[in-house]
Amino acid sequence: MIIRLCSAGLLLVLVVGWELFCRTSGISALVIPAPTAVLETLWGGLTVGYLWPHIWVTTVEIVLGLAAGCSIGFFCGIVLGEGDFIRRLLYPYVLASQVVPKLALGPLFVIWFGSGILPTIVITALICFFPLLENTLTGIQHIDPQKRELFRMLGATPLQTLRRLKIASGLPVILAGVRVAVVLSFVGAVVGEFIGASEGLGAMIIGAQGMMDTTLMFAIFIVITIQGMIFYQATLIAERWLLRHHMNGTGP
Amino acid sequence: MSFLAINHATYAFQPSETVVDSVEWAIGQGEFHCLVGRSGCGKTTLLKVAAGLLQPTAGSIFIDGTKIVAPSAQVGFVFQTPTLLEWQTVSNNILLPISLRRTPSPRDRQKATGLLELVGLADYAGRFPRELSGGQQSRVAIARALINEPAVLLLDEPFAALDAITREELQDDLQTLCALHGTTVLFVTHDIAEAIYLADRVAVMESGQLRHEFTVDLAKPRQRDMRYSPHFNNLCLEVRRAMDEAA
Repeated sequence: MIIRLCSAGLLLVLVVGWELFCRTSGISALVIPAPTAVLETLWGGLTVGYLWPHIWVTTVEIVLGLAAGCSIGFFCGIVLGEGDFIRRLLYPYVLASQVVPKLALGPLFVIWFGSGILPTIVITALICFFPLLENTLTGIQHIDPQKRELFRMLGATPLQTLRRLKIASGLPVILAGVRVAVVLSFVGAVVGEFIGASEGLGAMIIGAQGMMDTTLMFAIFIVITIQGMIFYQATLIAERWLLRHHMNGTGP
Repeated sequence: MSFLAINHATYAFQPSETVVDSVEWAIGQGEFHCLVGRSGCGKTTLLKVAAGLLQPTAGSIFIDGTKIVAPSAQVGFVFQTPTLLEWQTVSNNILLPISLRRTPSPRDRQKATGLLELVGLADYAGRFPRELSGGQQSRVAIARALINEPAVLLLDEPFAALDAITREELQDDLQTLCALHGTTVLFVTHDIAEAIYLADRVAVMESGQLRHEFTVDLAKPRQRDMRYSPHFNNLCLEVRRAMDEAA
């Protein structure tokens, strides 16, 4: 609790320091706007309402990109984890595909999928895909050998072993992958919007850049940060709920 | 008439590396046999071969006249560690052998509750494995192995990690549980006193072969005082000598 208060106090000190710096140094608002100006712009954007459609678009892109990337990554992780042959066959390609900077594919996606939200969703999904694949693969492969033998002893089918042993016991690792994916999805969506989108917070940043509106840019940073924290906290809560049985008895 | 028969069972990881070497052993129905030996003598491998977890390179295993080629529901297995699923309650852990085949019925749940009472964990049905002590976890593992009332129970040093007093309590519990349904038992251990206390017969294993066998003629059920009798100690000494000799 005290730590939290200190943490909040630190934020206050930083913001006040920033405000004082802007007022006393006479630095141009084009370079660094004062926090009061940023908050004013932010408040205006939210009350007048021109920010909301963009927030909505970005949220939709993130949710759809995350959902697609995570489910495909999870599914591929299971396929590669279960099939020894297919893993050896495909893993080098999967790895190679991940080394390609996915954001560099953005312009290509704009050609393929037009300038709507689809290219951004595809980029976000691509970025979220890998942590899920990697963590699912790790999670379902690192199983206590005695537990595997137990399931063999009890005559479990491969599907039962997968569902009730491998996925169940790998769940903490898999969900850690989801958390990484959530953080990365914001990079994917915002940078994806830089490339060709006309709507969304990333597109707004590009628009603000065109108008040299630094204050608006800062206001958008705040929106993205808060949005990211909400998503991250929601993920943590979901994770805790899913792992409530895994956690039992591990500590107070 | 032997209930569990091991006929010239041989197991080799590689042709040059024979871990179990032409083992011949027979256990009569309802008998309790112990297999003692040093670490790495092949006793765990022999047990896994007997369970059908490993296929013998040569020879065969028969249980009640049926050749064992894969793990069977007739055989319960208790591992070196309790091997409980940490994300499942104690009662679901015990019901695992059933729930992998069908949805547990109220009768199955009653049976699980009964087993939990027998091992003194009646109040722990809804707890999770991590909330239990090592001894309690071992008890759950034994209850899980017995839920299907297997004809044969195989145990692989299940009490090795426990303190001496807990181990003795568990030995008594195991003895009671196995006598209840006349379960045929093969128990692997490196603890000579444990083997003598539990077994009708003890086999000494060394380098993949059974080198000696002893009949333990102590009255059953075994009681705590017997551990301190001269006869018990003589038996321990005999087994100990046989182990030294085998090495």
